[in-house]
Amino acid sequence: MVGLVLVSHSRTLVEGLRDIVAQFGGDDVPVALAGGTPDGRLGTTADRIVAAIRDVLGSSDAAADGAVVLFDFGSAALSLELALEELEPAERDRVRVPEAPLVEGAFAAGVQASVGASLDEVAAAAVSAASLSKSIGG
Amino acid sequence: MSERRLVVIDPAGLHARPAARFVQVASRFASTVTVKLGDRVADAKSLIAVLGLTIRPGTEIDLITVGPDADAALEALVAELGPYLATAAPTPTIVAEPEPA
Repeated sequence: MVGLVLVSHSRTLVEGLRDIVAQFGGDDVPVALAGGTPDGRLGTTADRIVAAIRDVLGSSDAAADGAVVLFDFGSAALSLELALEELEPAERDRVRVPEAPLVEGAFAAGVQASVGASLDEVAAAAVSAASLSKSIGG
Repeated sequence: MSERRLVVIDPAGLHARPAARFVQVASRFASTVTVKLGDRVADAKSLIAVLGLTIRPGTEIDLITVGPDADAALEALVAELGPYLATAAPTPTIVAEPEPA
């Protein structure tokens, strides 16, 4: 099963998001978090992202399938870039970073992963989440 | 092909939780599964497509399955989505007012 790596400036944000993935996708979907800095401040670090990616790639469920990484904004992108550079090519091949919103993307990707979809299918589900309408009807 | 008209009985409509369930159940089958609301359709194996229909409480939807396991897919969806959807009357019926006794 494909797993998710959730990257945010805020630890509590991704903890809540992990609950959402577990609730809607199910507990089977591997999820690893990289939220906040090691000293508890808001921020992102490449080290934490690398560890989270390896956590998902190494989990027995995701061993064959890979990891979809979703992040919030700003320096998270730079930290993620650095993190991806640290991965071995064989690891990097099993990671996707879809053009997707963090919250809706994790929700959609989590459900897609739960049905045993491929790495690219899970990434595509996250991308599709960007089209979820925010307009409130009459 | 198998088809069933259902009415959304959940007071919140076909929201995130049942939509996710829809995808999970539909994905177990080889058949294509389509949700139809009026003239709009969505692939029931796509969470965002199902949510994109914005199915409100009390509305009727058609569930259409096509493929080798179409009947089983329809039965599974109707069974698993039971808390959210009910089978609608097969045809619109006009109930006559009872004669006063």
